[in-house]
Amino acid sequence: MHPSAPPVLPPPTVEAAPAIEVQDLRRSYGDFEAVRGVSFEVRPGEVLALLGVNGAGKTSALEVLEGLAPAGSGTVRVLGMDPVAERARVRPHLGVLLQASGLPGDLTVAETLRTWAGTLTAPRPVEEALTQVGLAGRADVRVRSLSGGERRRLDLALALLGRPSVVVLDEPTTGLDPESRRQVWELVQGLVADGAAVLLTTHHLEEAEELADRVAIMRGGQIVLSGTQAEIAETQPATIRFGLDDDAPRPPVPAGVQVVTDGRRVEWHTRALQPVLAGLLAWAAEHGVVLRTLLARAGSLEQAFLAVADGTDPHVTPEENR
Amino acid sequence: MTAVTPDRRTLDRTTSGPSRLSRVWSLASAETRMLGRNRTALVNSVVLPLLFVAAVPALGMDEGELPFGARLLVTAVGISLVMLTYYNLVTTYVARREDLVLQRMRTGELTDVEVLAGTAAPTVFITFGQVVVIAAGVVLLGGWSAPADVVLPLVALLAGTLLMVMLAAASTSFTRTPESAQITTLPIIVVSTGLSGIFYPLSVLPETLGEIARFLPLTPVVELLQLGLAGQTWQGDVVDGSVWPHAGVPLAVLAGWLVIGAVAARRGFRWAPRR
Repeated sequence: MHPSAPPVLPPPTVEAAPAIEVQDLRRSYGDFEAVRGVSFEVRPGEVLALLGVNGAGKTSALEVLEGLAPAGSGTVRVLGMDPVAERARVRPHLGVLLQASGLPGDLTVAETLRTWAGTLTAPRPVEEALTQVGLAGRADVRVRSLSGGERRRLDLALALLGRPSVVVLDEPTTGLDPESRRQVWELVQGLVADGAAVLLTTHHLEEAEELADRVAIMRGGQIVLSGTQAEIAETQPATIRFGLDDDAPRPPVPAGVQVVTDGRRVEWHTRALQPVLAGLLAWAAEHGVVLRTLLARAGSLEQAFLAVADGTDPHVTPEENR
Repeated sequence: MTAVTPDRRTLDRTTSGPSRLSRVWSLASAETRMLGRNRTALVNSVVLPLLFVAAVPALGMDEGELPFGARLLVTAVGISLVMLTYYNLVTTYVARREDLVLQRMRTGELTDVEVLAGTAAPTVFITFGQVVVIAAGVVLLGGWSAPADVVLPLVALLAGTLLMVMLAAASTSFTRTPESAQITTLPIIVVSTGLSGIFYPLSVLPETLGEIARFLPLTPVVELLQLGLAGQTWQGDVVDGSVWPHAGVPLAVLAGWLVIGAVAARRGFRWAPRR
């Protein structure tokens, strides 16, 4: 999945400058503030996944770094340049996949790629691009006749045709079947291995888990949680769940445990999973109690995402996680 | 993790890229190919304007004061500019916008103006082609007489085309779908064309209306064509000697419209459908 030609970039250095820098970005539509002070950065060779429910402000934020819309306030830099004011200099390095975009239906797949290549500074060969997204056998098919997934992959091939070192992918795999999705993931991993900086948005937690070095979760136009997957998972308490027989004694509740449900089905939340679990198991052994369907699970990205989406997460305050 | 620090040297890819012309050409040839595959659009842009022009003698519209050849050519340019360049481009730009193709094009290396120019290119080529075909027809029919001035008709054609492209781009701001272009283009198609002097000389209008009509967008194009091809002013007087002293007003009006068109296109053009 790696491109055959090396990217036009100098050898690796120890401390890489961020390829994308966003600081206190704001954007409004009339009275509605869609992006309310967002900051993040993406370094070369790194994937940042921007998560959030629909309307969280992801696409509005992305449009500024894509150079399609000016920032209301704040600064956005791509490779140190302003993507709106210095669009012509940024674009040869920037690959963009929009969440929704159209392609003329009357051209074939190969014609579409050739046309696009004709507008680029350093395009990769059309055949290579076709193979990259698994469309080699569909080169002479009109775009009108492609399936939704094939069209999305063609769109991706266009985004990557100029060998970009900064890649912005807005929901790259929405509407793709599982096999195509995996193919896209491998493609993205190949780009990153070659030193590209990738920013992607997704609804699929699995996608973020598979690809992202770091994750930022947006809600209401703000990043409410960000960090590595482990860091984000750690913001969530671990869960212990078990069932008790009717005649079983009740276990004592250790300090620092939040009781979510009590009775025959018990659910505890705790930030000290190991000692609490050890104590519980010791108590059960001592009293000869069977803990039915015992489950112990550390906090997860999914849990954090759901907590943020619901707006119920007490640990989340905007922007303190940077 | 391999990490990289881009420096200015590697960032300056622009120096080695394709020229502006070849980038626009890439898009223009794709657009031309698409036009060739869309029979409706092809008939609309090639056959209809020719039929219109052919109908001029049949409708008795050639009974003006201009010689037959000049009359036909002026009508052909006027009709091509409005029915073909302007109308076609309003529908094309709107269709591309609503299909999200324009937004897609905008994520690449083409500048905004290059995207608009590449999309307009086939229509503009056909416009020029029509004019050449009609001119050849006039010569074949023996209606050709030496023009009073060659520069003015060329200026009229080129500036008129540019103006129509810009007005088309501006008109997309109040045109939601390609179909609604049938209505939103009426002000230019009916009013401006009707009062441009291509169907009847402006001199038959009441004088005040005639004077007002001279400030509509298509009128200066027609005036300059008549001046250059037949040496006639908008009032139907034949000029002795240089026609340039009479070209001041239409040139100024045309220049004014170009500025208005550019500003309106820049302000009003949207790249994506309204959300």
